[in-house]
Amino acid sequence: MSRATSVGDQLEAPARTIYLNQPHLNKFRDNQISTAKYSVLTFLPRFLYEQIRRAANAFFLFIALLQQIPDVSPTGRYTTLVPLIIILTIAGIKEIVEDFKRHKADNAVNKKKTIVLRNGVWHTIVWKEVAVGDIVKVVNGQYLPADVVLLSSSEPQAMCYVETANLDGETNLKIRQGLSHTADMQTREVLMKLSGTIECEGPNRHLYDFTGNLNLDGKSLVALGPDQILLRGTQLRNTQWVFGIVVYTGHDTKLMQNSTKAPLKRSNVEKVTNVQILVLFGILLVMALVSSAGALYWNRSHGEKNWYIKKMDTTSDNFGYNLLTFIILYNNLIPISLLVTLEVVKYTQALFINWDTDMYYIGNDTPAMARTSNLNEELGQVKYLFSDKTGTLTCNIMNFKKCSIAGVTYGHFPELAREPSSDDFCRMPPPCSDSCDFDDPRLLKNIEDRHPTAPCIQEFLTLLAVCHTVVPEKDGDNIIYQASSPDEAALVKGAKKLGFVFTARTPFSVIIEAVSNTCVRFRSPTSVKIVPVKWHVCCKVQATRAAITQHCTDLGNLLGKENDVALIIDGHTLKYALSFEVRRSFLDLALSCKAVICCRVSPLQKSEIVDVVKKRVKAITLAIGDGANDVGMIQTAHVGVGISGNEGMQATNNSDYAIAQFSYLEKLLLVHGAWSYNRVTKCILYCFYKNVVLYIIELWFAFVNGFSGQILFERWCIGLYNVIFTALPPFTLGIFERSCTQESMLRFPQLYKITQNGEGFNTKVFWGHCINALVHSLILFWFPMKALEHDTVLTSGHATDYLFVGNIVYTYVVVTVCLKAGLETTAWTKFSHLAVWGSMLTWLVFFGIYSTIWPTIPIAPDMRGQATMVLSSAHFWLGLFLVPTACLIEDVAWRAAKHTCKKTLLEEVQELETKSRVLGKAVLRDSNGKRLNERDRLIKRLGRKTPPTLFRGSSLQQGYAFSQEEHGAVSQEEVIRAYDTTKKKCRKK
Amino acid sequence: MEETPQHCLSRLPDNSALKQQELPAHRLYFTARRVLFVFFTTGIFCLCMGIILILSARSTQEIEINYTRICANCAKLRENASNFDKECTCSIPFYLSGKMMGNVYMYYKLYGFYQNLYRYVRSRSNRQLVGKDVKAVEDCAPFKMSENKTPIVPCGAIANSMFNDTIILSHNINSSVQIKVPMLKSGLTWWTDKYVKFQNPSSKNLADEFRGTTKPPNWPKPIYDLDKKDPRNNGFLNDDFIVWMRAAAFPTFKKLYGRLNRTHHFIEGLPAGNYSFNITYNFPVTRFQGEKSVVLSTLTWCGGNSLFLGLAYTVTGAITWLASFAMMAIHITLKNKQMSFFHQ
Repeated sequence: MSRATSVGDQLEAPARTIYLNQPHLNKFRDNQISTAKYSVLTFLPRFLYEQIRRAANAFFLFIALLQQIPDVSPTGRYTTLVPLIIILTIAGIKEIVEDFKRHKADNAVNKKKTIVLRNGVWHTIVWKEVAVGDIVKVVNGQYLPADVVLLSSSEPQAMCYVETANLDGETNLKIRQGLSHTADMQTREVLMKLSGTIECEGPNRHLYDFTGNLNLDGKSLVALGPDQILLRGTQLRNTQWVFGIVVYTGHDTKLMQNSTKAPLKRSNVEKVTNVQILVLFGILLVMALVSSAGALYWNRSHGEKNWYIKKMDTTSDNFGYNLLTFIILYNNLIPISLLVTLEVVKYTQALFINWDTDMYYIGNDTPAMARTSNLNEELGQVKYLFSDKTGTLTCNIMNFKKCSIAGVTYGHFPELAREPSSDDFCRMPPPCSDSCDFDDPRLLKNIEDRHPTAPCIQEFLTLLAVCHTVVPEKDGDNIIYQASSPDEAALVKGAKKLGFVFTARTPFSVIIEAVSNTCVRFRSPTSVKIVPVKWHVCCKVQATRAAITQHCTDLGNLLGKENDVALIIDGHTLKYALSFEVRRSFLDLALSCKAVICCRVSPLQKSEIVDVVKKRVKAITLAIGDGANDVGMIQTAHVGVGISGNEGMQATNNSDYAIAQFSYLEKLLLVHGAWSYNRVTKCILYCFYKNVVLYIIELWFAFVNGFSGQILFERWCIGLYNVIFTALPPFTLGIFERSCTQESMLRFPQLYKITQNGEGFNTKVFWGHCINALVHSLILFWFPMKALEHDTVLTSGHATDYLFVGNIVYTYVVVTVCLKAGLETTAWTKFSHLAVWGSMLTWLVFFGIYSTIWPTIPIAPDMRGQATMVLSSAHFWLGLFLVPTACLIEDVAWRAAKHTCKKTLLEEVQELETKSRVLGKAVLRDSNGKRLNERDRLIKRLGRKTPPTLFRGSSLQQGYAFSQEEHGAVSQEEVIRAYDTTKKKCRKK
Repeated sequence: MEETPQHCLSRLPDNSALKQQELPAHRLYFTARRVLFVFFTTGIFCLCMGIILILSARSTQEIEINYTRICANCAKLRENASNFDKECTCSIPFYLSGKMMGNVYMYYKLYGFYQNLYRYVRSRSNRQLVGKDVKAVEDCAPFKMSENKTPIVPCGAIANSMFNDTIILSHNINSSVQIKVPMLKSGLTWWTDKYVKFQNPSSKNLADEFRGTTKPPNWPKPIYDLDKKDPRNNGFLNDDFIVWMRAAAFPTFKKLYGRLNRTHHFIEGLPAGNYSFNITYNFPVTRFQGEKSVVLSTLTWCGGNSLFLGLAYTVTGAITWLASFAMMAIHITLKNKQMSFFHQ
């Protein structure tokens, strides 16, 4: 299992020695960072290399090169090169726009200001000038410009508080402490005189490790550990200032070492498309071979007799030469513009995600952000959802609401009658700040009434108040609880509300004031001794292993069917459940459950589960999380979603999509995902369709021209087919297509199944489109051919030529293909009109102009005069109606028949939409005049959000939730246990 | 944080219909009623058009006489290329049962002649034909230069293989009186060909302009001798030459050879009676197993007498109607027990 997140997979860099106050001796990388892909100089070569590496572009380059061989190309020398250049230009512009943003962001970071001690004076310099060995001063609220060894701070004993949200996503404050040897180096003079070396390991990506030695002249060697290191990107908090020595800069810092590029994810649709391109390439080769064989045969049987070409050179007899000619002739069977069209389409779709006001969180001014546009359509296919619980589902807002003591349940939900909805989790941050909604007088009453369970209640409340790592801070009369996890704070606050107030902490005890808030008030400070517990695993190992095997056997009968139960498993057990022997059984069990909850699992386990499911079920998985511990699964899953905003950047930076609230996932999947899938697949299928239609005609023509490689159309008309005349419809399909409105997508989550199961794009659909295209091309070629072959079509009696036929066929093709795009379009916006009618018009205008330019501009002599003759021919106009009609009537009939026989859900919803729009409010009745109950109910929901039962039950097959396991640089727990809040801290505010 | 003023929401996306994907749109809708309506009207329209087209095509008259084998001795003579300088004529009598009213066009029609071969189509020099540079023969392989390296004018395979039979139509009023039917050899080409694409170098003395060039190997006479009587029909401007230079799309094609000059006896067209084609048989077709014929035809608004388009319309109309009936049947049978998704 190779995973990008697994640490320690790097070669260790050599250890470094840093000389203090001797800048010239420290030669390391500078502090400038660059996350941009290109610079002005490297842009062209790198960009071209990137593009040519893609199989399709390489293919077209190959074709363009083939065309340079004299006499091989039937379409001239530049008819592939020019479209290719146009397409690469568009792709290049997109790259430049994206890279420019990165440059800007880099610049902003590199130009941040910080203070360093140089030549005995404090200088304010920009970040990129910071060098290894510099002594920096960072003040409260600032970010560390590089990885720095903490010397001293404004706090006693060189302590300081940092927030490492940028690194690991945790917002709670962490303590770092300088060595006692350096704690008193608090003035410029002392720092200036500092001399000696720091030896430390080379740059690496281990966030929580650091080993080094501080070797001050005249003093003994002291060890430096992770406690002394302040990493780039962390923010100094509650500390006036710190002094430190820079040890790693720029890309050597742990932050940058960790921000390696996310693994390149390719969407399922893209993979299928690539396979289909390969298949088409195979077909192309077959066509070329068949045509070359045909040419060989024709030349044998006719070549000698045809005196009018007999004297020609022998190249026409050469099989290999012919093969190249036909490959060039048919090369456009593979849509040259597909890749760039998709790129632009997906880019725009990503913009739509960014622009969605419904996914904008006003609380922290965060819109949704698509960090990649590769996976938009993958969002429409998610079957397995993996969610981090802490933070992600709960937004880290915890309330003590309900408890059960000795079998009695306390606390009540007035809103319990309502279906719990995803809204409840996040959409509304609770207004109360003491985070305690618990309101049940029975609990206290039971204590006072000496209820049989009273001791249990007391015990319960005591435990609530005691067992935690919360640090109380007195702020006047108020107590502020500093907790590393919000659940702890919620519990302690709950206890406080019930009269068990946690007031102080000393290393060996906590002080609880039991206050009864009933009429009789008494105070009795209680001191509870804490016995340190060590986390007893070893002895349980064998037992657990046996137990899980046993359980799996017991549960064997549950396997293989849909179980309406949830499976809860914790990290330790999971370790065994994922061991080789039982992995399969465990997975089968897990997959058969509606939901699986894994608690207290490590980041590695999270990604392992995702990986196992991904490999086992071959379905699209999505992982969502907000912290650094979710990075693994975010990168492993097909689609990774990060919760952005208040929880730091690590998850966001490694995700494919970042949203501010968990609930936005609904719209991201049901609307953006489903739409994107629908759009992308329609766009791809349409691109294949239109190319097959036009270029198969060349094959039909080969049958009547002795397989000579002659083209029916003018060469530039062919060349510009994809980049101009039929370029717009794929864009409108890919950008503006809407199968139904956003409201319906949300209201009927069953619609998600369509995209989830890939009904719009699979081998069957693809071949359906190709065969349809084949039929269309047959009609488009044989109708005009038969009409024009024997007849005089011009009323002036004039004869026609091959281009006359070609231009007529070409016009019919453009019209048919544009109308087909119209048929495929469910939502005709103004852009659809522009694309469909505009494309036709563009061709006609081009045709008109192109037919007049010879000999003023020395190209296309054969086109001269074509437009007038074609447009003045009655046959042309008669065929213009007949041929596209004959092609498309088949499509319409097929669709209408399907629609009549069995309406799909989509069609039903569409109908509903139209009706509700027409009637204002839709009250649908069946043939008996009765209200259609279900529909009625659905319509009633208009304006209401989706009931999550639908969301969970029918759309996402499964959910996996992870409960977070705490971890930290220094064991937070130990630090906190050592706290003594009864002592006054000398903190200057 | 909760009291963020409105103006601080710097990253709030723009709430426009485009960005929120709420552009007004209307929907194509395939309800049975609409589709049936469209199909019925389309069907009716196609059937009507088909009938009109068939009727108009039948109102034209066309006579085609295949003279490949009728002139058997000439055909045999032309089998051998070395007989190119031997003249062979042939007369084909025929009877026109009804008169041909209006404009009558005379075509020659070739079967199995591939003017659409890739290397044939390319083998011409448009720069030469436009009269700018008569020695521009780059594109004309394999008929660029003669053996003594003089450029061929007009160069290329198309020009070299120009159709060179002469066909004269005579009206036999009775057994002794035979009058030549007057044919116009002008206006046979596309306007742009005659006035833009094909130009003589200068009109004064063509032979001088073409000095230093040679005629195509298959030609009996040089380009400037194609029509010595009419300078506007000579050289590159010769109508027969221009017509030939437009490469046909299919191996069977016909090209305009002449238009009836409607004067005197023929003011209304060709009267019924006995006619004969007097053909100077030069163009060898039997060598490539091709055939040639001569065609007389009148035209109507939609072209000649081919029924294909009319039939295609009729058949499409009929199929559309059949489809709509079938769909109607399905619709009616399913209407009552139509399953709704939500009932399931």
